[in-house]
Amino acid sequence: MTATGGEDRAIRRAVRRRSRLPTILGVAGLVIVGALVVTAVFAPWLAPYDPTERIARPFLFPSAEHPLGTNDVGHDLLSEIIFGSRVSLMVGLVAATVALLIGTTVGVIAGYYPKRLGSTLMRGVDVILILPFLPLLIVLAAYLGRSLLNTILVIGLLIWAEPARIIRSQVLSLRSREYVLAARSMGAPDRWTILRHIVPRTALLATGSFVRAVSGAILLEAALSFLGLGDPIQKSWGSTLYWAQTRGAFLTPAWKWWVLPPGLLIMLASLGFALIAFSLEERINPRL
Amino acid sequence: MAQYGVVVVVAVTLNFLLPRLMPGNPLALIAGVDVGMLTPDQRAEIVARVGLDAPLWQQYLRYWGDIFTGDFGFSFRSSRPIVDMIWERLPWTLLITGLSLLVSAVVGVLLGAISAWRRGTKGDLGMLSGMISIESLPSFWLGMVLVSLFAVQWGLLPSFGAVTPASDLEGWAHVWDIISHAILPVTALSIVGTPGVYMTMRYSMLETLGEDYIRTARAKGAGERRVLFGHVARNTIAPVITVLAIRLGFAFGGTVIIETVFSYPGLGRLVFEAVAGRDYPVMQAAFLVFTAAILVANLAADLLYPLIDPRSRTS
Repeated sequence: MTATGGEDRAIRRAVRRRSRLPTILGVAGLVIVGALVVTAVFAPWLAPYDPTERIARPFLFPSAEHPLGTNDVGHDLLSEIIFGSRVSLMVGLVAATVALLIGTTVGVIAGYYPKRLGSTLMRGVDVILILPFLPLLIVLAAYLGRSLLNTILVIGLLIWAEPARIIRSQVLSLRSREYVLAARSMGAPDRWTILRHIVPRTALLATGSFVRAVSGAILLEAALSFLGLGDPIQKSWGSTLYWAQTRGAFLTPAWKWWVLPPGLLIMLASLGFALIAFSLEERINPRL
Repeated sequence: MAQYGVVVVVAVTLNFLLPRLMPGNPLALIAGVDVGMLTPDQRAEIVARVGLDAPLWQQYLRYWGDIFTGDFGFSFRSSRPIVDMIWERLPWTLLITGLSLLVSAVVGVLLGAISAWRRGTKGDLGMLSGMISIESLPSFWLGMVLVSLFAVQWGLLPSFGAVTPASDLEGWAHVWDIISHAILPVTALSIVGTPGVYMTMRYSMLETLGEDYIRTARAKGAGERRVLFGHVARNTIAPVITVLAIRLGFAFGGTVIIETVFSYPGLGRLVFEAVAGRDYPVMQAAFLVFTAAILVANLAADLLYPLIDPRSRTS
């Protein structure tokens, strides 16, 4: 009898822990994202120098004036990294917005008209999901040329398929709910039913997909910039690492202040959004 | 099946259209010449040679013909046949993707199973949070840090390439040379690849654990070990193997970044070199090879599934 009692208690403790985890991780994500947003907004005040100006000799070791040293052309690395948060957040947020707009539109239409139109659209979504993602991203970026707008477009245009699929399955189930059937049977036009009854109820799911897309887009922007396909004028964490790689900084002691910090920040930024997304997804569809 | 055909058509058409739709002169993108330096006569001659004077649909048909005969044209940079370049690079990419997928499959399946079995314990939630964090790790940065630590700081392993250049090693020394060069790229790819397998395994196993037949097995007094290996593992493994097969296809594309960091002479590095040198035909051919890899992997998964999971066989 005592044995089962102990087991019961263990199970109850496990359930409590499980239900607390999404909140803990979600709050951690919000704190990370909040700190990054503050850094990005107040970058000109936080950064000790202008990151585009040669203010010292190149390849300086860390010192009191330059906590992370200087890069190959004498820019202050700390200032560069502080300003890098702007590119990362902007590309992440705007690309995810593009992806969400396309994804929601396709998802809602495909879910609301599931017969011919919907199945054709989803066939297209399947094709996009099966194409080699990273090579396609690189090929497109190489053809379009290096600018911030192109980076945003290429990423946004390639990551909408997953949100479209998630939203479609939600719309498919909403479509046969009583209030939707009632609206339709009373002769409500499709546009009205979709905007009034369908779209608002996909909002939570769409928010989850959006935050997840931001997390992915931040990593993709970093990868493109690292491969030398980012905007050559903008200072992003990925481009800092590109120069560290090109100038061989990771083969010298400089890796500790030139390679480590930008990579950790990329990870932190992506993780912050991923944690929020995880906590939202668990709320909608608990799988923990 | 029909879907695979559509994917091939889309990939080839995309390849055909991209250089022709992009801003700038398509001649520069297709023939690899500096248009500004040519006299009108030379220009007309090149346009005729690469077939840009034919109607678009004829160019399109010829493009398909070239692909079916395995003719991807020549590299702008080295003037070598692209097919040869790809065959040269393919084994290296197969080596590191194959090994890393093996490692992440074993580690991911094991940790995922332990996690699901001990659902809600500190170990499970700790592992889950850890895997979420690894998913946000930029793979190229991980590669750079590995090189800095293992190759530069501690001098344990080589930092670039697939073999020591001009070393003429033979026998076991040669094998060890190849292995020591592969260790760091394989480690980086394995770490980045594990969370996906782990998540799939964990969720798939939690689903199985909730099934009625598991409760039945427990109710009739089957031991924990028998439930785990006899019932849960057998029913979980089929979807996981499918996911793994599909990941193998995508893993190919992921090497573009890792092979660049380690200057590893595989297909991914070829793509990077082509992008850096504006060598468009090489870039396009590699893109088709990556597409083919994914299709083959998906096809293998489709064919494999009924063998592992008899329930899915249709009579």
